[in-house]
Amino acid sequence: MDYAIESTELVKRYGARRALDGLTLAVPRYAVLGLIGPNGAGKTTWMMSIAGLLHLHSGTINLLGCGPFDPALHSGRITLLPQDSELPLESRPIDLLTHYGLLQRLTRREAKRAATEMLREVHLGDRLTATVRSLSHGMRKRVMIAQCFIGSPELVLLDEPLSGLDPREAAHMRTFLTRRRGRQTLVISSHNLNDIEAMCDRVAFIEKGRTVRNTTLEEVVGKNSTLVYRVTREPADYAALTAAVSDATFSFNAETSDLTCRYDSRRFTAEAINRILLPALLAQCDVSTITRGDNLENAYLNQVIGNG
Amino acid sequence: MSTLVQTWHIACYEWFDALRSRRALVVLLLYLAAAVCNMHWSINLLHRLESELATALKLPASEQAGVVSTALWKSKPFQRMMKQMTRNDLVLRDITGKHPIELIYAWFAFFYTPLLVVLVASNRIAEEIGSGSVRYVFFRTSRASWSIGKFIGQMFMIGLALLLSGTSAYIVAKIRLAGSGTPDLFFNMVQWSLRAWVYSIPYLGLAMGLSHLTRSSSKATVMGILAITACFVLSILIRHFTTDTGWRAYLPHLGQLLPDAHKMLLWRNAPAPLIAGSATLITLGFCYLFTGYAFFRTRDV
Repeated sequence: MDYAIESTELVKRYGARRALDGLTLAVPRYAVLGLIGPNGAGKTTWMMSIAGLLHLHSGTINLLGCGPFDPALHSGRITLLPQDSELPLESRPIDLLTHYGLLQRLTRREAKRAATEMLREVHLGDRLTATVRSLSHGMRKRVMIAQCFIGSPELVLLDEPLSGLDPREAAHMRTFLTRRRGRQTLVISSHNLNDIEAMCDRVAFIEKGRTVRNTTLEEVVGKNSTLVYRVTREPADYAALTAAVSDATFSFNAETSDLTCRYDSRRFTAEAINRILLPALLAQCDVSTITRGDNLENAYLNQVIGNG
Repeated sequence: MSTLVQTWHIACYEWFDALRSRRALVVLLLYLAAAVCNMHWSINLLHRLESELATALKLPASEQAGVVSTALWKSKPFQRMMKQMTRNDLVLRDITGKHPIELIYAWFAFFYTPLLVVLVASNRIAEEIGSGSVRYVFFRTSRASWSIGKFIGQMFMIGLALLLSGTSAYIVAKIRLAGSGTPDLFFNMVQWSLRAWVYSIPYLGLAMGLSHLTRSSSKATVMGILAITACFVLSILIRHFTTDTGWRAYLPHLGQLLPDAHKMLLWRNAPAPLIAGSATLITLGFCYLFTGYAFFRTRDV
């Protein structure tokens, strides 16, 4: 497989604390990878290390097949949306993004055109010449997102891209980022798992500076091994269900009234499970919807916190 | 080649950004006002001295200042006084040929430029490290390009301030001083601005080098002020304690690391000392900057 990022055994310490504790993570080219983990898990540290902003204590990084980050090799090919970083307040978005484009070796004309297009794309076409100081928090965030896509870089690292945006702009940005699938490699770190589920095709779980899981979204949510039934009440007789589908496990979420059935995808298809299970289930309760695969939040909580 | 181009882009952007920043604009305006006021008060003083001299000699007083200043300037007692002040025959020989107004401006520019540098530039790097805005730049260009670009951008800024102050001082002199509106004087004032600009470069390097060491804008300004004060104090101490024998005889060598030791070379007319002085001061500026950068390049941002 062709990888945009191959990071192996990364270690970054802050005093005695290990922010990255031998983290190994590879991101295939053109993937949209969601980075999930609790606060302090090492997501931001990993991104900053990839972009060359932090110095690692050990480990190797191979970016776009050209070794670790080097501005001479990677300028214009990799961009980053850092967390909690202000833009220069007296600058105007159009000047700032044109400047960034020039640093990425675009010509002045190309840089200005790209800057204008990107700012229009993030709905700031009417604020091109306002100072950053005069923009609201959400608008600044959109300028920050726009700067990532100047000059169509091959790899874009986005740390909490949708935090601070109003619902309409967040939805627009989700669409904007989803449209990038297959054209660029994106790594998106977010605590909002619904956003990750909507935008990403791969996910990586990070815990205590290590990668716990790195796979496709389909596999994590169990598109081929999980069925979720929304039922009117919790089934009283689980033994009847287990007898219908041997090896399947069942869990019930009282809040959502969802009954989750996890089965061995090598033995059964979803259609086969429905055919066998539904009569036994309908004998105990009504079923309003059937969904293939769990939602990401449940899958994450189940796999990481459940195991922890 | 592309690194040089990136450095150039950063320098140009830094210049425009500095011009837009309120603090730099306020300091620039204050500096201009100070240059104009200094010239105005100096001419007033000159006029008063001339009037008193005319009264003592029972001559009719002149309406405009500067009528007898040029003659006074060339008189033996005045030159003896200047010799005491400069303590350098070569410099004295060079400056006695100058128009007094040039020297008033030159004194002002050389004395206040370090202060201008600290107030305008000392926080530029620390501010961006502190706010995190450097993080948008360092995946696009190298840290070295960024630091050098910022330094060159600030050099442009200080150069502009000095050129404007030189021009303003010339305009005041032209209005208020007899026989001073010549193109030669304007050219000479611009030349003094350029010399003061070269003199500002090591102070700029010092202030911006220190700015690499902290994330706090105000701390960087304080460090800049302290460092420049220390430079002045050290220069004075070295001059005071130097003797011909013993370890104190080596103190002037230590003094070579300070900008003040090379200042007088910029007051000379001959190209050789002027070029040597300029080269040394520019080198000192870059050395100070790179010392701060050496620490910064290993730091996380």
